[in-house]
Amino acid sequence: MNALAPQAALAAGVFAALGLGVMRRPSALVVRVLTLAVPVIALLLMRQLLPSATGLLIVADVKGLCWQLVIVAAALPLAALLPGDDVEAALFLGSLLGMSLLAVSGNLLMMFLSLEFMSLPAYLLVARAGTGSGERRLEAAVKYFFAGALAGAFFLLGLALYYAHSRSLTFTDQPLGFQGQAGLALMAVAALFKIGAVPLHWWLPDVYEAASPEVAGFLSTAMKSAAVLFLMRVTALAPMPVFAVALPWIGAITALIGSLLALRQQRLQRLLAYSSLAHAGLLVLGVGAWQALGRDPAAASSLLFYLGVYALLSNGAFIFLRASGVETRADLRGYAVRQPGLAAAFAVLLAALAGIPPTGGFVAKLLILWQALRAQAAIPAILAAVSALISLGYYLGLVRDAYFEEPSGPAPRTGDSWARIAVLACAIGAVVLGAAPLFLNGFTGRIWR
Amino acid sequence: MNTLTMLWVFPLVGAIACLCIDRLGRAAAKWTALVFAIVYAYLAGAAVFRGAISVPGSPLAFGISYNLAADGLSLSLIALTGFLTLICVAASWELDVSGAYWANFLALAAALTGVFLARDLFLFYVFWEATLIPMFFIIGIWGSDNRRHAAMKFFLFTFAGSVFMLLGLIALVIAKHAQTATWSWDMAALNGAPLGAAGPWIFLSLLFGFGVKIPVVPLHTWLPDAHTEAPAAGSVMLAGVMLKMGLYGLLRVALPLFPFYAETWAPWIAGIAALGTVYGALCAMAQTDLKRMIAYSSIAHLGFCLLGIASATAQGLVGGSLQMINHGITTGALFLLIGFLYERTHRRGLTDFGDLATRAPWLTFFFGFSIFASIGLPGLNGFIGEFMCLSGIARSSIPLLNLPVYLVAGALGVTLAAAYALPAYQSVFWAPPQAGSVSSRVHDLNMREKGIMWVLCALMLWIGLAPSTMLNLLGPALKELIR
Repeated sequence: MNALAPQAALAAGVFAALGLGVMRRPSALVVRVLTLAVPVIALLLMRQLLPSATGLLIVADVKGLCWQLVIVAAALPLAALLPGDDVEAALFLGSLLGMSLLAVSGNLLMMFLSLEFMSLPAYLLVARAGTGSGERRLEAAVKYFFAGALAGAFFLLGLALYYAHSRSLTFTDQPLGFQGQAGLALMAVAALFKIGAVPLHWWLPDVYEAASPEVAGFLSTAMKSAAVLFLMRVTALAPMPVFAVALPWIGAITALIGSLLALRQQRLQRLLAYSSLAHAGLLVLGVGAWQALGRDPAAASSLLFYLGVYALLSNGAFIFLRASGVETRADLRGYAVRQPGLAAAFAVLLAALAGIPPTGGFVAKLLILWQALRAQAAIPAILAAVSALISLGYYLGLVRDAYFEEPSGPAPRTGDSWARIAVLACAIGAVVLGAAPLFLNGFTGRIWR
Repeated sequence: MNTLTMLWVFPLVGAIACLCIDRLGRAAAKWTALVFAIVYAYLAGAAVFRGAISVPGSPLAFGISYNLAADGLSLSLIALTGFLTLICVAASWELDVSGAYWANFLALAAALTGVFLARDLFLFYVFWEATLIPMFFIIGIWGSDNRRHAAMKFFLFTFAGSVFMLLGLIALVIAKHAQTATWSWDMAALNGAPLGAAGPWIFLSLLFGFGVKIPVVPLHTWLPDAHTEAPAAGSVMLAGVMLKMGLYGLLRVALPLFPFYAETWAPWIAGIAALGTVYGALCAMAQTDLKRMIAYSSIAHLGFCLLGIASATAQGLVGGSLQMINHGITTGALFLLIGFLYERTHRRGLTDFGDLATRAPWLTFFFGFSIFASIGLPGLNGFIGEFMCLSGIARSSIPLLNLPVYLVAGALGVTLAAAYALPAYQSVFWAPPQAGSVSSRVHDLNMREKGIMWVLCALMLWIGLAPSTMLNLLGPALKELIR
């Protein structure tokens, strides 16, 4: 089997979805089956591979495989919830294809191509998918598009500078001059743009709020995993000590600002968007620690674990909004009386997002803080801990709204049962991953050695 | 599954069972909870008689090991947990609550047991944090008027303490790794790690985490709210067992891992403890709410325990630990009695009652008994513990610690305890009722309530008259810790 079989499966899925669109009226069921089956097949293909393909454009190795695994797994909830529209299916699978190409891209040009490949369909997905007012979504999609285009421009400019200086589109161990360093820094800025690190985060809350909840979940998990990998790839291009110093601080400040801004939100989807910003901060801190530790496998595995856990938590929390029909904190009041099961699942997800043991969120946070302290980034680690404390104010506040308040007003309209199942599955996964130390023995050793 | 794993998993199974059986009706859940609480109390008690055990740990990922052990200190606190959980179930018997109420108490018992059993810092931390979740719901759902605020404050304060403690623990593990090149969270393996410049910070972070939980005086403001707003049984668990976690952590983690800092910083720690003893008592004096008064008295009592522990003498440590158990029983009894009053009248103010002695003689008797135990009347349990704490401080060989100021503060604390507790007792039970008194709504304790109180008072008398059983249980374990 070829090392690129997962990408081939995804590409076939895109063509199949487009082909179905050519038929006059594709059955929604067929499209839905296709949307769900293709990522699952891609995941199964990853299980069998022992990839070792190395070429000019493609480097398919264990690291790439692990990231693909997390990215595609993070996309599964959206795959299960897309309504069966052939265009949306094609956009979704195309974006996923871009992400998994990014995971195996071997040089900067390929990276740029896959970056655009994963982003362009995502803009349209924000504009198209979901129900309700289309105008807000369109506005958000345009904003997202401009932000993405800006990031792409930064990246291209950086790439040009870097190439002009080093004559290399891949890793170089030559010491970089000012020009090359500026190029590298610009590319890193593009990656931070994609992650949404402060102060390049302005587009993120609007986009996440206006997109339909499951698309926002997709953006905050699969897309974010790809962006973190992108940042790691770019900062690993050449030795540049400034990253090891700057990234932990950028991450810690992003985490602080994200959680501070989330405190005041009343609309839940916007609150979750800011919370996603806070988590992105922790990830950037982790990337910084990874750099400072000389690209240590344990640090990379910690990031991977964090992304894997976060894929469950963020998807689950966003999809809860769809499953419950809850829009504001006022709607959430007394929700535990109305829907005990769904409320319990949401509470578990919130506790995990806050990093309270015994959930997977705690283990993930612990690993990142551990790596940060190993990397001597004590003050950013303390700031991240403070941000976790602030974030408790809203995560726990939501639990309080749901459990301690009396229900008031009409009950929110509940969503479909698929969404409920997805929320429950994510909550169960969050608890199971809390026992990660039981079954991850040797995890950090095996990956990225 | 070995005995120790069984000890913490069993109540957790009970909690899940209560949640599931809730569908069959509230009575079914209640009886399930009772059965599990009885068996759990039996298991915990039986473990005490079986004596200290440790089972070989099994390694997990990230240098964590599943490592449990029980010595005299752990066993006595687990027995206290089991006993008070059963008392709480019995005391809440007539409440009309869903299965989730019982489930939270059993889950709390499971997490507390885990804290006292864990010999691995990661496990310790996980259990430590896990205790917050059930208590958050107990206060927030079944508490009195200001419960939402109190629940949030309780969680945020303790989490603030423990998140910095976590950073300290990670730094400790890293420091040990620098020395041995292996990752380990095992408490025994971490002993004597050379810590360099990070040492004081790590110790400070642990002190902060444990200090919020004890609570020591500048960090105590969550306690009065949480204790006052929690339902009666919740206050019993909070004051009875959860406050002991901070002191237990100090004994189990901070002292053995940092003997040097524990000694050089002892005058400061003892100073904070002495401050807490006096300040808590003064605050208790100023209260007009009976429950809030007992809550503040807890700060004073816990200050006393900390004073004994800071002395780092065998006598002080044993006295401090014995006083932990004593405070659990006595304050538990007081919170229950206030709960019985509140159930009958929905009032807790010192001036809301009066002349209860003629209306409710049993209530008066038990309240008086517990008050006297609480202020350290010789012959009851409080006296032994306080006496040993003070004599431990007096005999300490640590420089500055044998200054009379600590003894004076301790003695002042004892005096002030009498000065707030006795007038309160007098005004509620013996003074003539004032205008607006609700004493007429109070009827005396029923058989169930009397039974609970007899058991608690018998324990107070037993420890007071024959403390040797408890001392023999605690002594060897504590000597091992400061060796």
